[in-house]
Amino acid sequence: MASCAVYSSNHDSVGLAAWGCVTPLGDAAGTLTALLRGERALRAVPVLGREGGDPVPLGLLNNRELDETAPPSWLATIKSRFGPVQEGGWGRPRRPVFVTSSNFGVGCLYAYRRSGDPAFLPFGALPDCVEWLRRELGWGESVTVFSHACVSAHLGLLQASRMIEAGLADAALVFSFDFLSPFVAGGFHALKILNADFPAPYQARATGSIGLGDGAAYAVLARDRGDFTITAQSLHNEMYHFTANRADGAGFVAGLAPVAAVAAGRRVWLKGHGTGTLEAGRLEVDAFGRVFPDAPLVGWKGSLGHTLGSCGLVELALAVEAMRAGRTPGTVGSAAPVFADSVALESFANGAFDGVVCASNAFGEAHAAFLLSHA
Amino acid sequence: MLERFIQELRTDDPGSETPAATRERLKARFAPGSTRRMTLLGMLVGAALGDLPPAGDEPLVYASTFGEGRALEDYLASFPAASPTLFQTSIHPSGVQQGLIGRQRSVGELFPQAGGRQLAVQALLTAMLAPAATVVLAGGEERGTWLVEANAVSDRTFAYAVRLAREPGPRALGRLMLTQEAVTGALAHPAWFERLHRRQPFDGAAAEGWRLQLAWS
Repeated sequence: MASCAVYSSNHDSVGLAAWGCVTPLGDAAGTLTALLRGERALRAVPVLGREGGDPVPLGLLNNRELDETAPPSWLATIKSRFGPVQEGGWGRPRRPVFVTSSNFGVGCLYAYRRSGDPAFLPFGALPDCVEWLRRELGWGESVTVFSHACVSAHLGLLQASRMIEAGLADAALVFSFDFLSPFVAGGFHALKILNADFPAPYQARATGSIGLGDGAAYAVLARDRGDFTITAQSLHNEMYHFTANRADGAGFVAGLAPVAAVAAGRRVWLKGHGTGTLEAGRLEVDAFGRVFPDAPLVGWKGSLGHTLGSCGLVELALAVEAMRAGRTPGTVGSAAPVFADSVALESFANGAFDGVVCASNAFGEAHAAFLLSHA
Repeated sequence: MLERFIQELRTDDPGSETPAATRERLKARFAPGSTRRMTLLGMLVGAALGDLPPAGDEPLVYASTFGEGRALEDYLASFPAASPTLFQTSIHPSGVQQGLIGRQRSVGELFPQAGGRQLAVQALLTAMLAPAATVVLAGGEERGTWLVEANAVSDRTFAYAVRLAREPGPRALGRLMLTQEAVTGALAHPAWFERLHRRQPFDGAAAEGWRLQLAWS
């Protein structure tokens, strides 16, 4: 394997001017409140929706059906909850949009394949789905699309930061979404990590399992604006195996190290990826312990499920809300014993911390992280 | 204005070659036995990248409008007994990941990009804003089958890899410039590939607000 350094990009002058998310537990403030109460969005749902199959833990927005509709029913929620996404002349060269997702409208291609109904086609192909969103949300044509599975949102944040830092944009909108369908639920079920068990991130137990959840989020980045900044963004791609990490955990450490260098001297808490799989969970906890000793670690996918390509931005919005509220939700859905004492099962006050390190991982064993701190 | 110099370039246009013939042509470029589960797009992009692999901490930008068309089609057809292998290979970055995983070559920054008419310029912007002396931009499409009629996958196959540098060096093949101007236009991914493959110059609006100039040495 080639040795590989990781870039650390410090964007102290790029602020977080606005943010928001929607999960089955509500908007960012509502989801935070629910997490602090220890609520779970996940319910047992047949993995293939109307076609049945094993019940698996899924979090579906507004109790919608797993099967896709034409047009997709989730757009109404985006339109009603994400005002800043639709206002402000986004999608112009000086106000670009960065759309990130893993699945886009592929649930419609699944529905087309199963039903033969051509009404699904205008929303199914990746470019068609983005074009449909662009028209519906009133954006211009300056729309960049990233799709890197579950670290997709991090790429949008990094490139948006670079556009602003280079003086090529006045502000940038990062929009991320992933809504479940039998396409993705069936895939993770086939991999056997989406099963009848509910996820318990970082818990030492006999078998691992994940849950999946609907999620969408946005962030507006602008120079010298906002009370929070996203700094020291880092990326690392192991290219060891599609679904297995290097056993020594070097990939996790490589993804976190540049952020740790910038965070040195600051007291941070950690928002991990924490899907509920055992091997990746152990490696992640171990890497966090090596790079950020003594920092408390939480994961929220035991409640929300894995929101896939949107998870980095959904959990960013929740981390901001937690910092504003002064309290960080614990690792909902998990119980002792856990992989390390650093795993926080209960909520805790975060007023004494300088910031939070948020990390995500993806197929191909991609790692992404950033430091969120007060401006 | 952003400026980069083309240091190395590989393109592959199979034209009317059958997928089986393309696979046969390329399989010697990979370790024995490793191509059995690779997609056609994975082999094409992997072969192009094999000639100019990202070195050390060199960023990699991957552009594809549709990504893994055939894996997507086959995965959809595998239901209700969903195939785990096709699920993995149907994800968008799979086309660039397959070859890199086969060669166990880690990468720092990897930016898999998708999209429509603006894709070429957006991918170039990502490459040009990466804080590195050199960047590899790779891309490709794979002709699908039953989803072609629905315009849900690509109707042609191609792949390329190009190394861009901040400095011209002694053997630059060409020069790329991106300038923010009040223009409207588009340069679709296949058209961008043709400029590279045939080494044709370009000077004009290539996306909303962006003028692209491509000159060959």
